[in-house]
Formats: sequence, C-alpha cells, structure tokens
Amino acid sequence: MNDGRKATTLTRPQISVRGATKSFSGRIVVKIDELLLGEQPIEGLIGPNGAGKTTLMRMIMHSTPLDGGTIEYLRTGEYGNAAVVLSDLPTYRMAGLGVVKSNQVIMDFNKLTIWDSLLLAATEARFERPHRIFSEGSVYRRHEDEVRDWLDFFPFADPTGFAQSAGEKKLLDIVRCLLLKPKFLLLDEPGAGLSDELTSKVIEAIKLVADSGTTVVVVEHDLSLIWSICERVHFMAEGQVLLQGDPQEIRKHSTVIEKYLGKGHVAS
Amino acid sequence: MNLDWLDAFLLQGLFQVVMVIGLALLLHLQMGLVRIANFGVVGFWGLGAYAFAVLFVGVDWPIGEPWPFLISMAFGAIVAGLAGLLVGWLIADLETEGVLVGTLGFATSVWILAVTEKGLTGGALGMGGLKFPFDIGKTKANELLWFGILFAVVGLIFFYVSRIHRSPYGRLLISVGDNEPLAGSLGKPAFRTKLWLFAVGSAGMGLLGAIHGVMAHLLIPQSIGINVTLAAMVGLVLGGSARVWGAIIGVILTVGLFEIVVQSYLPLPRSWYTQAIPVLREMVFGGTLVVVLIIKPFGILGDMRRDKLLRRMHGE
Repeated sequence: MNDGRKATTLTRPQISVRGATKSFSGRIVVKIDELLLGEQPIEGLIGPNGAGKTTLMRMIMHSTPLDGGTIEYLRTGEYGNAAVVLSDLPTYRMAGLGVVKSNQVIMDFNKLTIWDSLLLAATEARFERPHRIFSEGSVYRRHEDEVRDWLDFFPFADPTGFAQSAGEKKLLDIVRCLLLKPKFLLLDEPGAGLSDELTSKVIEAIKLVADSGTTVVVVEHDLSLIWSICERVHFMAEGQVLLQGDPQEIRKHSTVIEKYLGKGHVAS
Repeated sequence: MNLDWLDAFLLQGLFQVVMVIGLALLLHLQMGLVRIANFGVVGFWGLGAYAFAVLFVGVDWPIGEPWPFLISMAFGAIVAGLAGLLVGWLIADLETEGVLVGTLGFATSVWILAVTEKGLTGGALGMGGLKFPFDIGKTKANELLWFGILFAVVGLIFFYVSRIHRSPYGRLLISVGDNEPLAGSLGKPAFRTKLWLFAVGSAGMGLLGAIHGVMAHLLIPQSIGINVTLAAMVGLVLGGSARVWGAIIGVILTVGLFEIVVQSYLPLPRSWYTQAIPVLREMVFGGTLVVVLIIKPFGILGDMRRDKLLRRMHGE
C-alpha cells in the first residue's frame, strides 16, 4: 500500500491490483500494472469478450492463481486501513473478509432447495461443526427474517423447492452473495439471462447494498446497465485497463469505444 | 437365563448385519453426502480392531478392568481416526479414481501389516486373547449382551447421522459434495470439512472393528478382506447412498438375506460353507452393485429429498 493511501481514511473498502499477470498456454490474458477498485460506491468493469474481465475477477477471489503481482484488500472501520493480501489466501477465506463474487456462469447446488441454499450462505461457521447437530432451530430463527426479506424482494416460483430455470439460478446466486453480507461485492454479469423486469430488481438491490456501505464492482456486457448505475468505469481490452473515469468520460473516447464496443456507445 | 431358543449362527448373523449397517451408515456420510468413495472401509475397521487388540493383549496393565478394555477401545478408534486424517489429507482433493486407488491401497497396507508384523499381530496365525469385558454366564449370554452393546453403538451412529441431515453441518456436507467450488466461494472450507468428516468416520469404523474383535475373540488377516468393504458398499448403494435409511434397508436386503436366510435356512451342502459360499457371496454382491448402478443408480430409496425434509422441519 502506498503512503498516500495510508494517510487517508477510507470510507469504503477498496481492492488494489498491482503488477498482476496471468497467462494461459503462453497467451497473456491479464496484465495490470496498477488498478484501484472501489473509489466510488458502484463501479463498472467493461470491455469486449476476451478482455480478461472474468479472469481478473477470478484472480481477485484467488480461484485463479496469479502468475505474478499482488492483489490487496484495503479494509475500513475497526481494521483501520489495514491491507490483506488476497492473492495469498485460499478462496474460502474471502467471504469471511467480506469479499464476495457472484458467478458469470450459472452455478447451483443440485441437492439443496432455494431455502437450503440461502440458509447455507447465511449460516456462521460456528454452527456448522460436527457436534452442533441440534443447532438448525437457532440458525433458522437467526436468519429467517433476512432470507424472507430477499425472497419477498426477488420472485421465486417455489422457494421451498429447487431453483428451476436459469434465471432463478442466477438470482439465487446473487441472493446467496447478498446474504453473505459483503463489504466488497463483485458481480459478474448479474443481468445475463434475466428479463428486463428482473434486471431492474437486481439494479435496485445493487443500489441498496451500495447505500449500506458496500463497495460494488459490476462486470457487464449490458452497457446501458453500466452507464445507468456506475459512478466510475474501468475499460479493459487485451488484458489491460485502457481507460478509467466516469461513464461520460469513457464514452468520449470515440476511437477506443467504437473499436471495441460499437458506435452506439460513443457519447454524442 | 435360558437361551436355548437362540440359534448361535443366527446371533452371529445378526451381529454381522448390525455391524455392516454401522459401517454403511458411516460410509453414507462419506460417500452419500460428501462424495468421498471410500473403498478402504475395511482398512480403518481392521486397523481399529488390531490397534485395540495389540494394546489390550500386549500390555501388562497395572490397573483393573474395565479400564484396560475401555482405554484399548478408545485407542483403536483414535488410531483409525488418525489414519483417516492422514489418508484423508492425501485423497481429499483427488478425483474419484484417485480416492478409490488411495483408499484401496490403504486397506491393502493394513492387511499386509497384519500378515507381516507377526510380533504384534500374530501374522497369519492370528491374534487371540480377546475377551468380553464381562462374564454373565454362558458364552451365548455373553455374546447376546455384546450384540446388545453393538446394537446400542450402531443405534447412536444412526441417531447422529439422522441428526446431521437435520443440521447446518449436514447442509455444509451436502454442499461440499454437491459443488465444492461454489461452497468455497460461500466461505465454506471444503478441504477441512472433508478431512474432518473422513477422520471422524474412520474413527467410528475403527471402534466398530474393535467391537468385532471382541466378538470374534481371534483376529486373523482373512477377516479384514475386501468383502467387508464390499458388504457395506453394496448394501448402501442398493438402499440409496444419499439416504440414512438406505444403509439399513440395503444391508438387510444384502448381508441380512445372505448371511441369515441363505446360510442358516437354505439346505445347502455342508461342503459349500468353507469354499463355495464366500466366493458365491462376493459374486452376488459384486453383481448386485453392477446391476444397481446400471438400473437404479440412486438405489431403492432414491436420491435425498431436501425439499420434503425442510418442509417437515420448518414448513419451508
């Protein structure tokens, strides 16, 4: 962490990526010298297919190991501005720190119902020990209200059954993330496969968690979603961050935007 | 107590059925919930039996009964649990094929040790001197009481396993077996979870092994062959590996039918008992496993039904 950052008090957690590289079969997929995520409550990460956005998200969660460089999580509150090197930690430790990511491809538990899945996300580790065989009642009572709140917010056909459609599984993935009470939330294409109505609900939820102090970074191909909710946008192409700024600034770079995203996204 | 009505073979058969149910219940946790296909059940069971016997028989105990017996029992379970920790650490991150080879290899190592470490185990001749920690009269009465103790231990295992299905710990186990990367992203330590479950399950198998040793009075390497693993696995898969009752129903239909009905009540030629029946048993069990996996891979009871269970528990 540089001295300038140490001196200021963060109001929200941030993630600092420095010198992070990743190659697959000799092809460089991510090569980022310096990137700070979380200067604004809601930020967007955009770029064409193959730009390295999802790989970068996975590198942050350490589900894809880095070839080089470091990724630090800059915490706030009781931790001061203490930095935790995420790239040294196993993936399962991230949720405990408050760094949570939704999945780009649909992932679900085939054997768990929607309620089951949400209770799993909400349950604290101390209740999940081999000797706590009578703790289901207390876990249910502790988390029933918050699970119900989200189930009221997002429509599921039958929350007592299994998630059926791709859309339900996508929503379930997002709600699981929200129940982890994230401090830094990474959403990888949260609107993919959802109807316009559900996408609006997701946007509403993003704004709600951002208002409560969580930093949100959204990776999304639906650029209208990015332009409408993000206060800062990072534009990636060929593994590097080429542009950073607020949506209007990004959209003024006509050459780059036209090349990678199409004419329609250039600011008039 | 007059126990003339009780057939000695029937009691031995029932003992074996309940013993295999206990192993199948523990295997259900490992294979049915967390998806660790432990093909080395007999290794942990045999290690528990031998560790118990070596300590109980081999040490000149300065304290009176029942302490040497109880301490040796606990020792058998702990040694099997530690072996489970070591084997689990080696296999927890492997694919099914690796788990299969690793656990089978472990069971073979235990068998080889039982044969070659003659100073400790008596080698192929076996290890005697194992006796009941009580004497209430005739052999049959002692055996019946010991069967009762096994029944109580397996009953406790059944209760524990049933409760696991109704607890957050069970949900964690199912999530790790179902989708490990997703469970990890929710902050669940998959490797540690699998490791501890494997170690605790192995300790339970070791305890059951020690209980078997006492009933048998004599431990011989032939008694810790693959047939024990096969019996627990076939029973569990036939009943439904993801269901608690699957272990009980499946083992009764396989081991129960074979050990009690076929061996005790079918008029088979005497000469078959030493050679033909054990071979026949393994062929039937192996064949059953293949047929069940092809026709009904989730077993008689089918896959777990969390929707029904949760509605019963919470109305959700």
